[in-house]
Amino acid sequence: MIKSFERYARIVWTPFFLSILLVITWVVVELNGDIFYQNEAEKLFLRLMIVIGLQIFSGNSGVLSFGQVAFMAVGAYMSALLTIPLEIKKFTFLSMPEVMKSWVFPAHLNEWNGTTGTLAGAGFAILFAAVFGIPIVRLIGVAAGIGTIAILVAMNVFIQQTSSITRGTSTQIGVPQTTTLGSTVIWLVIAIVIAYAFRQSRLGLRLRASRENERAAKSVGVNIAKERYLAFVLSGFICGLGGALYAHYFISFSYLDFYFDLTFITIAMLVVGGMGSVSGGVIGAYFLTFIYVAFQRLEVNGLFDGKAPSGTADLVLALALLLTLIYRPKGITGGKEIPFPTDWSFRWVGRLLRGEIRPKAHSLSEGLKVLGLDRLSSKDKGQR
Amino acid sequence: MIVGSASVVIQYILDSIANGSLYALMALSLSLLFGVMGLMNFAYGELIMSGAFTMYYTHSWGPVGMIAMTVIVVVVMSLLMELLAFRPLRKAGPSTLLITSFALSIALQKLAYMTTNPGIPKTVRPYPWLTRQFEVSGVLMSRLEVIIWVMTIVLLVGMTLLLKRTALGIQLRASTEDFRMSQLVGVKANRVISSAFAITGLLASVVTVLFMLGHGDVRPNVGQGPVLVAFVGGVIGGLGSLPGAALGGFVLGLVLNILQATLPRSLQGHTTMFAFLGVIAILVLQPGGMIVSIRKLRRKRDQAAALSEGAPS
Repeated sequence: MIKSFERYARIVWTPFFLSILLVITWVVVELNGDIFYQNEAEKLFLRLMIVIGLQIFSGNSGVLSFGQVAFMAVGAYMSALLTIPLEIKKFTFLSMPEVMKSWVFPAHLNEWNGTTGTLAGAGFAILFAAVFGIPIVRLIGVAAGIGTIAILVAMNVFIQQTSSITRGTSTQIGVPQTTTLGSTVIWLVIAIVIAYAFRQSRLGLRLRASRENERAAKSVGVNIAKERYLAFVLSGFICGLGGALYAHYFISFSYLDFYFDLTFITIAMLVVGGMGSVSGGVIGAYFLTFIYVAFQRLEVNGLFDGKAPSGTADLVLALALLLTLIYRPKGITGGKEIPFPTDWSFRWVGRLLRGEIRPKAHSLSEGLKVLGLDRLSSKDKGQR
Repeated sequence: MIVGSASVVIQYILDSIANGSLYALMALSLSLLFGVMGLMNFAYGELIMSGAFTMYYTHSWGPVGMIAMTVIVVVVMSLLMELLAFRPLRKAGPSTLLITSFALSIALQKLAYMTTNPGIPKTVRPYPWLTRQFEVSGVLMSRLEVIIWVMTIVLLVGMTLLLKRTALGIQLRASTEDFRMSQLVGVKANRVISSAFAITGLLASVVTVLFMLGHGDVRPNVGQGPVLVAFVGGVIGGLGSLPGAALGGFVLGLVLNILQATLPRSLQGHTTMFAFLGVIAILVLQPGGMIVSIRKLRRKRDQAAALSEGAPS
């Protein structure tokens, strides 16, 4: 009886733990009531949504994607188009082509507090991901990175230049504000469950196998292109969802919101936390948000009557990513999920106190390596 | 199309050649690093940016001092980039290198935002004797354009000589072919990679000077746009081959500039989008770039010719 209970508890443990973390964050921020922290929390949640989307594809397949933010843009723009009231649309989208006018203008998807509009936006993101996924899953290594960057830039140029559909460089007007912190948390919990279920499922396992060793995976019958494609489309859905929620929270948005800055910050979160696991994405997002907000406060409020120049927060973020890549390439979690409570071990604390393990002299040896001084030892001579 | 006469066509082409030349030089340097260490260096744009800021701050030193300082700063930046960011990650996969260069590019941009007070718009004041246009048999030209052509040709010839005639060039090309094998036969990894970065920095500094003298505006993200175009050109031509990348960059810069001038306004903006969609298509259909496919065709034709000669008639 207890054994079987533990078995089921183990299965739901990780998503349960992460959801509790999110709910606690939400409750704390809501009770605090400061609008600054509410906005920061919403930003964290929406970025986390993209991070989870990225994790589904990049984390499981090992193919890095810089393009998921493009699907977020699709979700945001389509969801906005389908929910802006007709009276406003008539004036803001005067020159929309007839083909689109016929179904965009009458649409008013605001049922269930905007849920239909959000889902519709995510649906269009699926369509785009399904189209772009076809070439992307056939690319390997750096070519896939380049291909996804191309998606991002192409989408951005399209939004910027096609003002009849997207209002080009102007911001949106009249998007109903239906997203709240609470609804974002609910969607996020759903996304985490999907991502975790996908990772643990047969599909996810095959994909992770192909990440570790492509040839071995192929030899046991894994159809890599197919598995990657499914992950890509699922990832597009989650990102589209994030975009739609974004649109209905920060109601005035523009093409600039979905470009390199957001791509960079989400990739940084995933890599710092550890690409291989959903927990990694969540922990990375929290960790970097914490650093970012702290330094942002430093820019605004200052410390010891000196203010940090604006941009410090972004610089620190970039440095955190660089240092992670150099010293801990698998991220904080090392690609593992949060362990079940009975597996937690605190023995290392005692050993640390007794002086049996010392912090590794990583930084020193790496520093020497950077300066080329480690080459003086005979061991490395072969490398030169 | 508003093409009126032959001289107008020549005018467009001449203007575009200058544009294409700069992109050729950029694509060439991107390709060099890609070949030697599998690195698609986004932070290349920030080399251009650092050069542009150097030009802005040293403008009062006169042209010679300014150019010398720019070259020094950009080359040193390039070497530092390698030493501090890419050397510790030498053994990491190409994807990690890509993220690294991405992070480096953002970090340098933000550093520029922090240190240079972006509230004040900055421009490198152009030298009128360089940019003033004069007429040669119905076609307008400026000294700057002529200098860009000459410099591009000099640098391309110089690069060719360096790659074909010197020991360093041979080592570089060997490393581009097969990095591990070249190490096994005694090519020193650190030296080759450092010199690749130094060459990249040198090319970047020349590009910066030529670009900024005609363009002027100095912003922390000034390098991002050009480097994206150069990189598309490089991929189209084939990042794995130096002449292929240079040719790809040149052709793309040329074509984009001609399209900018001739297409109706409503379509102009979309040219970049099609260029990037084209990149995806080329990556899937012809991953080695166009130059490889041309070589393949030629080899096939040669084989067919050899077969038909060899066959008894």
